[in-house]
Amino acid sequence: MNGRAATVAGYLAGFALLFALWHLAATLLVRSALFPPPLPVLERAAALIADGILQEQVGASLRRILQGFLIGSAAGIPIGLAIGSFRPVRALLEPWTEFFRFIPAVAMITVAVIWFGIGEESKVFLIAYTTVFVVVIATAAGVGAVGRDKIRAAQCLGATRLQVFRLVALPATVPYILTGMRLAMANSFVTIVAAELVASNDGLGKMLWDARLFMQIEDIFVALVALGLLGFATDRLFRLAIRAFAGRFNPTM
Amino acid sequence: MALVSLDGVGKTYRGRGGAWEAVRDFTLDLAEGEFFCLLGTSGCGKTTVLNMVAGFEPPTAGRILLDGREVKGPGADRGVVFQGHDSLYDWLSALDNVAFGPRLRGMGRRARRAHAQRFLELVGLAGQGGKHPSELSGGMKQRIQIARALANDPRILLMDEPFGALDALTRATLQGELSRIWAGTGKTVLFITHDIEEACALATRIGVMTRGPGGTLKAVLPVDLPFPRERTSDAFMAVFRRVHALIHEEMARP
Ligand SMILES: Nc1ncnc2c1ncn2[C@@H]1O[C@H](COP(=O)(O)OP(=O)(O)OP(=O)(O)O)[C@@H](O)[C@H]1O
Ligand SMILES: [Mg+2]
Repeated sequence: MNGRAATVAGYLAGFALLFALWHLAATLLVRSALFPPPLPVLERAAALIADGILQEQVGASLRRILQGFLIGSAAGIPIGLAIGSFRPVRALLEPWTEFFRFIPAVAMITVAVIWFGIGEESKVFLIAYTTVFVVVIATAAGVGAVGRDKIRAAQCLGATRLQVFRLVALPATVPYILTGMRLAMANSFVTIVAAELVASNDGLGKMLWDARLFMQIEDIFVALVALGLLGFATDRLFRLAIRAFAGRFNPTM
Repeated sequence: MALVSLDGVGKTYRGRGGAWEAVRDFTLDLAEGEFFCLLGTSGCGKTTVLNMVAGFEPPTAGRILLDGREVKGPGADRGVVFQGHDSLYDWLSALDNVAFGPRLRGMGRRARRAHAQRFLELVGLAGQGGKHPSELSGGMKQRIQIARALANDPRILLMDEPFGALDALTRATLQGELSRIWAGTGKTVLFITHDIEEACALATRIGVMTRGPGGTLKAVLPVDLPFPRERTSDAFMAVFRRVHALIHEEMARP
């Protein structure tokens, strides 16, 4: 646990350094109204939180990310498992994954808005879209990477095909699935901001857009810092989950 | 009747590089309770023979019988200890790795852990069951593999150079323990190695293979020495020299 305390201390110091450099750059180097130092930005954030506005925007974006991400993962994991396990399925679906992989979610915003309007559905669709292919590819790769000896060992302990899948292939693939989900989560942040910039009534992307329109420079920075912190927090959560599943610790005996 | 019999078994691999005959006309009967060491130079086809007995790969000629029934695929009657330790399940504790076979047969959690605990004790790892494979040394991992195979109570134990990657001291220790376990359980063992001393220390019979391609049995020697084996005794040295001569004949062959 000493290691964890050291990590937390390191993170805090890292953020402190980031804000200190930002402060120095803004007060000594740039000195422009277009690049505010951290203090007024934090004051503005406090005001926005007091009014309940920041929570609202963050909540709107997070809700969309979470919904789309869960839908995309729920679809992506079984599809990836099937592609990794069965050759014909792979042959059938590989063109799909390889085709859509190169059409980024950002490019799909226009069709999404035409199909689903500027409400929740189009955002959730875009996040699910960006999530599903990343998760499919990571999951299928994980199944393919299960060691041959691990499968053989189970077979000569008497495992049926289903048991090999359930008790060996699946747990061996979990770290890959989580890694794919972690990547997909990072992509979701990109997608949600882009989608909300273009077409939305609320969310952090919309906040950025409005702030630009009305030249509220502090608001732009509040949104940027909020994005960074949210992304950082979710990514840490995934790292912890991956480490727990990688089996380096023994959670229960 | 022999427990396992290989009858004119051959294996030809067909790949991009064309056909490669790894094993040819391999005939051998393994009796219940014996410790058979298969010895040969690198690439002579030892692993190929073991993989066919395990059922991982089908022979392309001849047939393999276990208890009179033809081997069609892997099964719980043949326990395998692999050369590397990638076969252990990193996400399970050592104890749960050993309990994996009973778990497949639907044994309850408590019962199978108690069962596995006995086999951990047998391989000298009684207090280490809570560790995960990444927290075990190479020698400990091989002990876990042995315990996992034995806990499933197979008819025969198939071991492919299980101690090949260990340092000399650990290897000697594990050889001694395997010998003791074999004597205690009476399991039939097919053990592959290219270490002549290891074969002489463990085996009741040693089979020497010819060099590939088309590796086959060159000679089979009974080793009638008492256990535990005294490696510096004259009798041991005499066996060693005979096997050594056979191997070197093969190595010298053009
Ligand atoms: N899957 C395969 N496809 C093609 N050739 C193979 C395959 N597996 C083994 N061989 C070839 O068959 C021969 C015997 O291989 P095998 O692994 O049985 O040797 P070995 O006696 O176990 O050697 P070592 O002591 O180095 O482990 C080798 O020439 C090898 O290249
Ligand atoms: Mg080999």
